[in-house]
Amino acid sequence: MGKKVSTAAWLLVAVALCLVPHVADRFVTYLSMRVMMLGIFALGYNLLLGRTGLLSFGHGAFYAAGAYGLGLFSLHVSPHPLLGIAVGVAAAALVALAVGFLSVRSSEVYFSMLTLAFGMMVFALVWNLREVTGGDDGLIGIARAPIRLGPARIPIAREGQYYYLVLSLFALAVWVAARVRASPFGLVLAGIRENPTRTEFAGIPVRSYRLAVFVLSGMFAGLSGALEVLLESGARPSMAHWTHSAEPILVSLLGGLHTLTGPLVGSLLFVAMREIIMRFTENWMLAFGVVLLVIILGFRGGVVGSLAEAMRRRQAARRAP
Amino acid sequence: MTGPVLLETRKLSNHFGSICTARDLDLSFEEGVLTSIIGPNGAGKSTLINLVTGHLPVQAGRVTFRGRDVTRLPVHQRVRLGICRSFQIVNVFPQLTVLQNVLIPTLARLGRTRRAFARVSAETQARQEAEAVLERVGLSAERDLAAAALSHGDKHLLEVGVALAARPTLLFLDEPTAGMNPLERSRLLESIRKLAAEGRTTFVVVEHDMDVVFSLSERVVVLHRGELLCDGSPERVRGDARVREVYLGEEVADLPGGSQPGKGP
Repeated sequence: MGKKVSTAAWLLVAVALCLVPHVADRFVTYLSMRVMMLGIFALGYNLLLGRTGLLSFGHGAFYAAGAYGLGLFSLHVSPHPLLGIAVGVAAAALVALAVGFLSVRSSEVYFSMLTLAFGMMVFALVWNLREVTGGDDGLIGIARAPIRLGPARIPIAREGQYYYLVLSLFALAVWVAARVRASPFGLVLAGIRENPTRTEFAGIPVRSYRLAVFVLSGMFAGLSGALEVLLESGARPSMAHWTHSAEPILVSLLGGLHTLTGPLVGSLLFVAMREIIMRFTENWMLAFGVVLLVIILGFRGGVVGSLAEAMRRRQAARRAP
Repeated sequence: MTGPVLLETRKLSNHFGSICTARDLDLSFEEGVLTSIIGPNGAGKSTLINLVTGHLPVQAGRVTFRGRDVTRLPVHQRVRLGICRSFQIVNVFPQLTVLQNVLIPTLARLGRTRRAFARVSAETQARQEAEAVLERVGLSAERDLAAAALSHGDKHLLEVGVALAARPTLLFLDEPTAGMNPLERSRLLESIRKLAAEGRTTFVVVEHDMDVVFSLSERVVVLHRGELLCDGSPERVRGDARVREVYLGEEVADLPGGSQPGKGP
């Protein structure tokens, strides 16, 4: 695939995304926002899993830190959405810094188990601190106040309006992830995935780099969580549960671990499949599991990975006489 | 051309259970002296490298580099100071391209790896230096191949290239020519000789091939069961009775040009 084709594809997607609220109904607009939020979550998560080779079960906690950070700020300090999102992302970064600091010194299974343990502690806190977090009720009644920027006042109360805030931040997240992947920092992360020992012998403090990308991916999770609170007008404790951390893993496996578009396509498939399957059966997880099994066994490297591989083969076959 | 002492070990010891792989080793490596470390299997050659480069924690003893105590320094800081190594078993970044493999240490040396929003493709200086390293080890044509796709010999060349890219002052090569065909071997040895002559890097090579050892090095260190058996010029080591007894045996006596030490085949 040439550079021109991929630029054209990105442009086409961008235009389509801009048009959604105008041409589609409210439900599709809502689902598109869910896809983009999951996309942000998965994109950040994949910097950790696909790029650096670290499997975290703690990202539900960072998602919740973003969600509750925005929720509490909005309820007690100021309903300004952009400030709230910034507070949410900062809260997620802080929690990720604390959890990461204690986890990145271990590797592989031990790292995963530590993130799981810390994630469960955060969930327990959210669940038990009733006075602050609302316990199992969560936080409710968070309004989408207009964005005040100096004299300007941008309303986001209607879903068709809020959509564009989500789209802008989604675009920002894609841009950041793309830049990081193409950067020297991103190359070092791939080096850590491939061979941490050798990376150390290249003169790089591997732990610090692991911690940095852990915090960065935690901030993506926090952004996603904050956006969900604004969309659903509330925060639920289940956001912090470790099973929620599995969502971006499934999404990454669906779409493909080693590409930028993998998690994005995976998010689309994940939300679409959930919606379609849920119309036919209550046990959507069962059917979803079967589909996932087929994709993992049949499409090595996820949908995007296998498609790219198939196209490469076709082109190679065409070139050969 | 003997320079100042770079690295020094004092009473360096290491045990794996009841097996002693280093016992009270007092060694010093001087700038510009191409040294070989030899010894039978289990002599502690790799352990010595592991200890001085920080790959293994030092159990007892001291390591100093240019007079500075580095005994407890983490690996990456020793690399920054100028101590690097290659590995006996190829230890590169398999899924990255050959160029990316040498780019990582090059970017690290130039202090560019924290840049998360710059583009690797725009790091002109690092790319040029990385390509110069590939030229040195003869892998320029393979720059865009994944490291995993290289032949066995080429992987060893890349292994050395990745170590060289950190531009170390003192470089330990752990059996760099293992499993290479004669052509690859002579190519690698030629570039080591050339690099050593340039004087930027001092090489310490662990090697099994006696031809290589005696043709390449100005100094030979013989280890046996973790102890220092002999240390000196190739001629001296070749003539040492104890070395012949425990390790070299007939191999030394049979060497071509035994009366003309220091000349390679």
